[in-house]
Amino acid sequence: MISCRKLTRRFGDFTAVDNLTFEVAAGSICAFLGPNGAGKSTTLKMLTGLLPPSGGEVRVCGLDVRSRSIELKRRIGVLPEDLGLFDDLTVAEHLSLIGDVYGLNKRVTRDRGNQLLRALGLEHGRDTFAAACSHGMRKKTSFAMALLPNPEVLFLDEPFEAIDPVTSKIMRDLLQSVAARGIAVFFTSHVLSTVEQIATQLILIRKGRIVWDTLAAEVPVPLERHYFDLVEAPVVEEIEWLGSPRS
Amino acid sequence: MARVAAVLSALSRALRRGQKSVWSVAGNNFFIVSAVVMQDAGVFIYLLIGVVILFPLSTDPLRKIPASRLRLLPLTGRDLCILRAASPWVNPMTWAIAALAIWAARGKVTVGLWGLAAGMVAAGLALSSLGIAPGYGLWRHLPGFPGPLNQLVRKNLRQMLSTLDLCCALLLSAAAIAFRLTMRALPPDAILILTVLVVLALSSYAGALFGLDGAGGRSRYALLPVSGWQLLAAKDAAFLLIVVPLTLPLAPLAGLSAALVALAMGRNKAVNAPREQLRWRFSTGAGSLEDVVGGLVQAAVMIMAAASVYLSSPLFVAPCIAAWAGSLWWFGRSVDRVFRSGRMPD
Repeated sequence: MISCRKLTRRFGDFTAVDNLTFEVAAGSICAFLGPNGAGKSTTLKMLTGLLPPSGGEVRVCGLDVRSRSIELKRRIGVLPEDLGLFDDLTVAEHLSLIGDVYGLNKRVTRDRGNQLLRALGLEHGRDTFAAACSHGMRKKTSFAMALLPNPEVLFLDEPFEAIDPVTSKIMRDLLQSVAARGIAVFFTSHVLSTVEQIATQLILIRKGRIVWDTLAAEVPVPLERHYFDLVEAPVVEEIEWLGSPRS
Repeated sequence: MARVAAVLSALSRALRRGQKSVWSVAGNNFFIVSAVVMQDAGVFIYLLIGVVILFPLSTDPLRKIPASRLRLLPLTGRDLCILRAASPWVNPMTWAIAALAIWAARGKVTVGLWGLAAGMVAAGLALSSLGIAPGYGLWRHLPGFPGPLNQLVRKNLRQMLSTLDLCCALLLSAAAIAFRLTMRALPPDAILILTVLVVLALSSYAGALFGLDGAGGRSRYALLPVSGWQLLAAKDAAFLLIVVPLTLPLAPLAGLSAALVALAMGRNKAVNAPREQLRWRFSTGAGSLEDVVGGLVQAAVMIMAAASVYLSSPLFVAPCIAAWAGSLWWFGRSVDRVFRSGRMPD
């Protein structure tokens, strides 16, 4: 469903993403991991057509991302890094926007929207403007927008961060359920415990390069220790003045 | 005071680094034309409306600090008041405009008017400090529109309704209606001029169409399976839905022509040089000399279009529609390119 060959993105002299080659099959839940600034969001933007690559090839659902972007957008659902919400629309109006633009009829949009709002605990905030929503509500709205058109591939940028434990569990269950029906899920995350629970494929990148691409079944447990070994080990420096009397 | 000085120093540094922001004085086309064309009457308008309301609300460097961060700083209420009043003055443009206003108004403005001006400054500062969120009040209940762009048109309308450009146009339109209801009929020339002024007050927004969408909104545009021309059409629909009712009691066809021209001429700036727009501010029409000249040219063509339709023949609306449609197609392709390239406004 997702196929990358030698995907590269440069910003001036800086190479943010360097020759990435990987594949994600239908029904997989692929976790794309790496430290801050490793190139995860840049890669995700290139996969969804938000950013043109400097080199390499990307195909999603068999379509070239650059030349057939409108067709591709009709077949994918995305939770972008900045959530992609308009301050001047309410939660329910955002779902209605997606239904209208993706050509769903009003009744289907309303029914699917109500189900998603109920499932994600957003019913009480359906008439709240995005500008007045908490970060968690905004993230859930964007997640619901990604699911509403029933896409073939889901791209999610840090979906579990800033989400309460109950909603996180609901989201995990939803993702496992859609993957079981053949939808490919590609997500970035720093929450390794959640990754361990749902991912079927793991890709780790560091400084724009893949350091590990494997099936989750082959992951040595715990993932955190392996992550520290492969990506970076934490160095804890003693900061003496912290906690001492204020000066 | 040390804390306030530290914040002002940081603001000044931030302004110096962002060279563009030093010149970022939002100037609505209405004020530019008033100041340049209206001469003596323009002095009054320029001083009382253009300067007094415009600069406290539009050169505001305090916007460089996120409101949430400002609230977290250990500043007292008194500190915040001082900061609010002093921050516009770290922008050298504020000093330049104030000097220009005093020079232009010398001997023509009474003490009472200066007092009124001071009151308006205070009201302007208070309004900008309120941070009114979008979608409050009546705007929540806007009707739906037909077609798949329904929610986008609704959103665009709410955005336009939260700019000061609309207040300015509304004031002019309401004054014209009041005059027509209470006095004798307006002379035909006055109807044309008032129509043009109403559209002029709104025309700067045509060059800042994406300014209130924010980074999140722009990335959503890039993700939606719609073409660039459709996104522009949704913006235009909202613009025309405001212009047409406001010019209805004046010369609606002339107003429509001027609005179509304003949209066509504002496209390049709106799409290829988009800027962030703040709510309850005037649209950023005059950020540079180039913008001032562009605003004047836009205004001149709008006036010609409206005058042709009003004074010669309604058929002159046809070339205005053609220019608007051509710009929709051409810049629609630019929108596609801009959103796919990941370019974002400053």
